[in-house]
Amino acid sequence: MNAPELPKSFERQEAELPNPLPRPEGEFEALKKAWKAPRGLSFITAVNNTYVGLWYVGTAFLFFILAGILALIMRVQLAAPESDFVSHDLYNQLFTMHGTVMMFLFAVPAVEAASVYLLPNMQAARDLPFPRLSAYAFWAYFVGGLVFFGTIFVGLSPDGGWFMYPPLTSTKYSPAENADWWLLGIGFIEISAIAGAIEIIVGVMKTRAVGMSLDKLPVYSWAMLVFAVMIVIGFPAIILGTLLLEMERAFDWPFFIAERGGDPLLWQHLFWFFGHPEVYIIFLPATGMVSMIVPAMAQTPLVGYRLVVLALIATGFLSFGLWVHHMFATGLPKMSLSFFSAASTAVAVPSGIQVFAWIATIASGRMRLTTPSLFVIGFLFIFTLGGLTGVMVAMAPFDWQAHDSYFVVAHLHYVLIGGMVFPLFAAIYYWVPVASKRALSERLGRWVFGLMFLGVNVTFLPMHITGLIGMPRRVYTYPVGMGWDALNLVSTIGAFMIAAGVAVFLFDMARNFRFASEDNAGNVWNAGTLEWLPNGNYATRSIPSVVSRDPLWDQPNLPKDVEDGRYYLPGTATGGREALVTSPFDARPQYILQIPGPGWQPVLAAVFTAAFFLLLTVKFVFTSIICGVLAVGCVIWWLWETDPGPVRPPADIGGGIVIPVYVTGPMNHSWWAMIVLMVVSGMVFTCLIFSYLFLWLVNPGAWPPRGVELPQWIWPSLSTVLYVGSAILIARASWLLKGDDRRSPRSVPILIGAAMLLLAGASAIDLRAQWQAGLSPSAHAYGAAVYAILSLQIFFVLTTLIMGLYTIARWLAGKLDSVRRTTFDNSMLFWYYTVGQGLAGLLMIHGFPRLTGGA
Amino acid sequence: MTGRRTAQVCLTLGGLIAWAIQFTIIYGVTSTLCGRGWADTALLGMGAVQITILLATLTALAAAAILLIVSLRQERQQRDHPASATDTFLNESGVLINGLSLVVILWHGVPAVILPACA
Repeated sequence: MNAPELPKSFERQEAELPNPLPRPEGEFEALKKAWKAPRGLSFITAVNNTYVGLWYVGTAFLFFILAGILALIMRVQLAAPESDFVSHDLYNQLFTMHGTVMMFLFAVPAVEAASVYLLPNMQAARDLPFPRLSAYAFWAYFVGGLVFFGTIFVGLSPDGGWFMYPPLTSTKYSPAENADWWLLGIGFIEISAIAGAIEIIVGVMKTRAVGMSLDKLPVYSWAMLVFAVMIVIGFPAIILGTLLLEMERAFDWPFFIAERGGDPLLWQHLFWFFGHPEVYIIFLPATGMVSMIVPAMAQTPLVGYRLVVLALIATGFLSFGLWVHHMFATGLPKMSLSFFSAASTAVAVPSGIQVFAWIATIASGRMRLTTPSLFVIGFLFIFTLGGLTGVMVAMAPFDWQAHDSYFVVAHLHYVLIGGMVFPLFAAIYYWVPVASKRALSERLGRWVFGLMFLGVNVTFLPMHITGLIGMPRRVYTYPVGMGWDALNLVSTIGAFMIAAGVAVFLFDMARNFRFASEDNAGNVWNAGTLEWLPNGNYATRSIPSVVSRDPLWDQPNLPKDVEDGRYYLPGTATGGREALVTSPFDARPQYILQIPGPGWQPVLAAVFTAAFFLLLTVKFVFTSIICGVLAVGCVIWWLWETDPGPVRPPADIGGGIVIPVYVTGPMNHSWWAMIVLMVVSGMVFTCLIFSYLFLWLVNPGAWPPRGVELPQWIWPSLSTVLYVGSAILIARASWLLKGDDRRSPRSVPILIGAAMLLLAGASAIDLRAQWQAGLSPSAHAYGAAVYAILSLQIFFVLTTLIMGLYTIARWLAGKLDSVRRTTFDNSMLFWYYTVGQGLAGLLMIHGFPRLTGGA
Repeated sequence: MTGRRTAQVCLTLGGLIAWAIQFTIIYGVTSTLCGRGWADTALLGMGAVQITILLATLTALAAAAILLIVSLRQERQQRDHPASATDTFLNESGVLINGLSLVVILWHGVPAVILPACA
């Protein structure tokens, strides 16, 4: 179905608003009823972004405090030379957990959490398009994160550094389960981050206020869009890395063991291909927040909007060309290093553009020195200093001197605290009035800022010197007489000043934060963006149309008209929860999306997902598999209620606009989500192919190694035929499901079943061919790489088979026909992907060694 | 997303995509040639690594330059025939992004002139 052609009137200030007054009796009550949050124990099944977003932010902050306490313990240990406050073994766990928790359990979740809360409000959407996915992401993170953190109390925490380099973390040098906790414990947090990223991409592109075209998109939305795309591209590398290292530890597949053709540097590539973009992944949302706060505080629009958007996009691209600058000391050719050096300096340009845009905005308005402003100024100061030392370490010769010293510790804390923690505090002080009945205290806020700003500089400025005079990172103590004593003591005092600032902040929150659903503190800063509209559980009463980037400044009557229900969709068309889906570029209404409400399914699915990974860590394999099956079962239970079909004819949302309540194909929001998921999958596969080629590169003349025979051509040829046949059958089923007459031919499930058989057969034949040829996955990295490609393919085939069975079940239940076919479309897209990946894998495994002739 | 919009996005982001391809080629080829000891192959007095970087850089520069010219032309056309705010925004962003990309691409080609291939 196509979106109706709309009058262009909503691009201008409208003389007549879409819906007249008075509104029909009961309309508002029905809207409120649909969005009511559950009570009692069921409260935890709430999926509204305002609830999940707050829980999410709160949990992220809890991890910030917990990881901060670990840092304080380390600072106490280092305050004096030859201290024995903690043992070296515990110290190893402390620094590993501090880094891991701050990066994986605080920084990324915190910015994702803030966007779960803020994005829909800022774009005047009723909710994110997949609220249950947000809930799932949150609960998996909450349960898994807390259990993961708990390992510190039983001495089982990972201790190989937050980047977990093998061979230190290989079985030989880390035989205990500490490393497995990292590899599997972080695994589901990555899944949670990707689930959030899919939600954000579709949310930014498809659920916006009417008329909020790309040129009027808030900078924060732009930042979150770039952030989410970066997660989609960057996180698969670490997912693959953790998979490979865990397979090496569990099954002895030697990806990183040099004696058997592996290479520890492969891990470093995979880790940092994720790890460096990760810095920008947490920095860009923070800059997005700053770009919203500065105009409100200066009471003037952001200067250089286009340049700031350019900076966000350029940073997103360039940040993927930096990863080797963490590997300058590994002996790579200087030419290779210089490419990364070039990108490392180039990325300073877009960051500089943003800084100048903020300074220009401050200069062009009249900046009020509120607590959010102070944190923004603190951010500019601290981050710029961190950026300058960043340019220093971007130079390979300097980096060789400073590598693994406290200079790097100082640099990265200036960048991360300046670039992420200060903006986050600014954001909390700025946006609390949206979520709370009372704003936070300005007086206490100044104390928080003062203590934290001084504390950060007192802690980390001396560390530059400590590093330059030779103190290495990660040492649990140091002898007297190295000249490091006083500097370390000063750093420890600074760390406690930061802690004091955070304690005052917690006191302020306890005193003033009171959750509000309809009676928030209001637009206390006189800001211009839509999150400051009056709202409730249903978000805004009606969905506004906007004519500028600061609609509250340019459309003075907007809050009242929105609250009166004079804009679009002031009630509920289907009686349930709905969101207005708009076109990705011009934000014209396309259809009414029926979104699911509260339910136990995402909570249980998350708990079982976390249990699957965590139990696997402690080798409770059978129980773990049961939890995995239960998790899949809960997801299917959850999905069963989705794809409701056209439950009523197209509805009038106001202004003469009549739009459908159900669409399929590329306009559908889940189509977009599937495409993003395919990109994630494609990136995992690409990283695996990179690993295969990398291992080939370090094994001249051994690809395959002597004594290994390649399977005969007949087997991959047969697999190819089966893969292609499977795709053709699905295409045929899709063709049979065309038309507006709601037909549901019997041959559809038969075709899907036959396609399942062909798909399973194709991968089984390839696996059998390698096994028959005598290839061992543990003898050499070649075999490990081949079986890794096969294993990934089998995982995708199994997932596709489950989707096939699910689609057949929908057909049997009468929930699939030529109109109500979103489920089929999603399965079809994934099917084509799996077939494509299978064919590429065959070409690689069988074609590449023949092409290179074993060289 | 319609075909016109897809083309617009490609035009807007094209310079950075050209950089990404240039980067992948120069890093991938340098690593492979140096890793396998194939970097000594010379053509017209230049080593294989230098030739690859030169060709990749010139191609990417040409691509970004063409995209910049197209973006500028479209922007000029829109000044005469006003388009939608989204179109104007995308074109102006294209001019900025493709302009920046030219500098970034050139910057990544510089090491070939200064450094030995595999030292």
